[in-house]
Amino acid sequence: MIKIEKRNDVPMALYFFTPFIAIILTILGGGIIFYILGFNPIEALKFYFITPISNLYGLSELLLKATPLCLIAIGLSFCFKSNNWNIGAEGQLTFGAIVGGGVALLFYNQEGFYILPLVILAGAIGGMIFALIPAILKTYFNTNEILVSLMLVYVSKLLLDYLVVGPWSNPEGFNFPETRQFSDSSRMPLLFEGLRIHAGIFLALAAVMLSWFILYKTYLGFQIKVSGLSLKTAKYAGFKGKTMILVVFMISGACAGLAGVGEITGPIGQLHRMISPDYGFTAIIVAFLGRLNPFGIIFASLVVALTYLGAETAQIFLQIPKYTGQVFQGMILFFLLASDYLLFFKVKILNLKKNELRH
Amino acid sequence: MATDLRISNISKIYPGCIANDNVTLQFKSGKIYALLGENGAGKSTLVKILSGVISPDNGEVFLNEKNLKLSSPLDAKKNKIGMVFQHFNLFETLSVFENLSIDATEDNKSLRVRINEIFKKYNFSIDLDVPVLNLSAGQKQKVEIIRCLLRSPKVLIMDEPTSVLTEQETEELFISLKKFCDEGILIIYITHKLKEVLSLCDEVAVMRKGKVVSVSQTQNEKVETLANKMVGQKLAKIKKKINISKNKDEIFKVKHLNFYSDDPFETNLVNLNFSVKKGECLGIAGISGNGQNELFQILSGEIITPDTSIIFRNKEIAKLNPKQRREYLMAFSPEDRISQAAVPELKIYENVALNNFKSSNFFEKGLVNERKIKEHSKKILSDFSVNTDNVELKSQFLSGGNLQKLILGRELITAPELLICYNPTWGLDVGAINYIHETLIKINDREKSTILISTDTEELLKLSDRIAVIYKGKLSKIMPSEEVTPEKLGVLMGGGSID
Repeated sequence: MIKIEKRNDVPMALYFFTPFIAIILTILGGGIIFYILGFNPIEALKFYFITPISNLYGLSELLLKATPLCLIAIGLSFCFKSNNWNIGAEGQLTFGAIVGGGVALLFYNQEGFYILPLVILAGAIGGMIFALIPAILKTYFNTNEILVSLMLVYVSKLLLDYLVVGPWSNPEGFNFPETRQFSDSSRMPLLFEGLRIHAGIFLALAAVMLSWFILYKTYLGFQIKVSGLSLKTAKYAGFKGKTMILVVFMISGACAGLAGVGEITGPIGQLHRMISPDYGFTAIIVAFLGRLNPFGIIFASLVVALTYLGAETAQIFLQIPKYTGQVFQGMILFFLLASDYLLFFKVKILNLKKNELRH
Repeated sequence: MATDLRISNISKIYPGCIANDNVTLQFKSGKIYALLGENGAGKSTLVKILSGVISPDNGEVFLNEKNLKLSSPLDAKKNKIGMVFQHFNLFETLSVFENLSIDATEDNKSLRVRINEIFKKYNFSIDLDVPVLNLSAGQKQKVEIIRCLLRSPKVLIMDEPTSVLTEQETEELFISLKKFCDEGILIIYITHKLKEVLSLCDEVAVMRKGKVVSVSQTQNEKVETLANKMVGQKLAKIKKKINISKNKDEIFKVKHLNFYSDDPFETNLVNLNFSVKKGECLGIAGISGNGQNELFQILSGEIITPDTSIIFRNKEIAKLNPKQRREYLMAFSPEDRISQAAVPELKIYENVALNNFKSSNFFEKGLVNERKIKEHSKKILSDFSVNTDNVELKSQFLSGGNLQKLILGRELITAPELLICYNPTWGLDVGAINYIHETLIKINDREKSTILISTDTEELLKLSDRIAVIYKGKLSKIMPSEEVTPEKLGVLMGGGSID
């Protein structure tokens, strides 16, 4: 018979160490998969985790991919810490990109220092508004935010689809499903000549700092923490539950919107169908791998960004589909949840004599 | 045949705690034995060992000189040891008969015959075909007892059986237990209620910190002597003060309190009206589940009900949330210490910050003022003699008594005009209970008021100036506590009416 008991005191150090165990197990698991597929596991893992970042361009790509993941995950940490399960960051990213992109398109033939800030602001507001939909429905109509936020992802993706093939498509674009190129004034400044890494990374770093301050040093952060641990206590203490739900969704949506606008004004430079390789969903893994801690999230976003890069490298050198990246992301989450389970619970195996088993 | 149960040198050690330390006890049929002790004295561990739920590290159990190997509850059943736990193990949606037939070995017909024989013999009457959820707590307990009786037990262990019963049901239970005893069943009665030991049991074993500290005949004992043995120190006896507050102002007044819920697990409240005077303690008695939860939440502002009027210090506060009500100098101590009044994962000082009233300056301009909160927490820890001075300690490491002191301290630091508490001493040991009671009396002495919602009649009689009983969401008339007896309360709590 197996008995599962809750552990009373989980050491903090171990709590922050288990994500590393999950990563190591993921790498081992990946090696086994490669071996079964007939590759030399060591070599395949090298292509996956080392080759992509062995040069300056690779490092820049790593930061480029980590930027949106980090931004979104920071936003999500506000929701998750307070027991609000916003899993529609991908939709908020898309809607932010639509609104920000719309503003950029307004100025497609103009130059000016004020354009980029306007575009960024529009993107953040767009994401915020889109996140407010599940939040308002949850607070005033008791809907489930998991379902609503998830379904809204498809709404925003279809809206983007419609816009890029319809009203916003490039008149000189031979009917390709994309908009005009944004003007240079709507583009994120590049940090280094010849590399794609752009100023959006500073937005992500600012979000990290700001979120640390809000979560650990303000009354709002305290309320979020208490609500996350016990909604009953939050109610008893008289926290304004509804306002808080709205606020955390707005923060989360704004971060996702920023991530979206960072992508279209950074590496992409226009709107088309594929503005995000599911950053909004992957960021959920990032948030938990980073233990919902702002600095943990920086680290986690780098690790997960590497799985994106590794998948691309592996596709080129080993002819494995790049969707193996998602396999790795899935494995990280799986191993993280599994090690968390063992962290919070202990499994006891009890000996039973044969005659007792018969009963 | 006489039964002889012997526990020999039983020890059970948990990390950081010796639950049973070399316990040796002997029981013989024909007597009712009490096992008395505070929370954490080791009673439950011993009972779990006897019922096979856990195995001892050391020691043996003998039944009629036969060495028992009790490694699972089935072993206990096979050896004719029956247990009735405090929390019932019944399937609520199944009928009484279905519950009894689940682990029966005979066919339904003969089972029914046997059950009816037991009914006749002990004067029980329960409809066998109604779902268990329609039964009262006392009836549910009878079902559990019948389940044991069907196995013709030699030993029957009752774990805190009266905590959910009314006075009448308790009396009925005692009559049954005495009958079982006469039939030759050995009865071990576990409790921390001293009066029950004296009125029911023949012999009493007192446990403290895992050890048996005394075994004696109950006829030689009094409430005070037993309490002293149990706590291990002379208890300062709390005197109930006489508070004549007839001419005092009404500080708190509730009118037309109605609450309707779609949730079948919540109780509707029907037109409650009451008021509290300055310096008075209003007790609200009742068996749990009769609307106390809902009443507490409405009084604290966690639930806002339309059309209710709550006047506090001449202001209408019915629409205010708990935080706003605190600003008007109300304070609340809910029943659920562990997951509502405090968060176990939070540090002590963070739990203190939950009572964030304006003048505390815990959060200035939205920022955490950690220094202020910690200073304040240190003061609470020393003023309310919590057994730590480390405000960084997570509150999950505090014992129930210390946690309750911390919560009361947090609530009282604003010097509130009205404290509303719900089962403030639930599950605490005698020392902590005394401390809490003294604190509550002090509040009244300082001309501040309290509303005490409690399921412990003794506590209510000791502390209240006036008492009302809540039954199925309705409030009885409010009586001066001099006119109230435990029997009267019992009748009202069980849904009966007096005079």
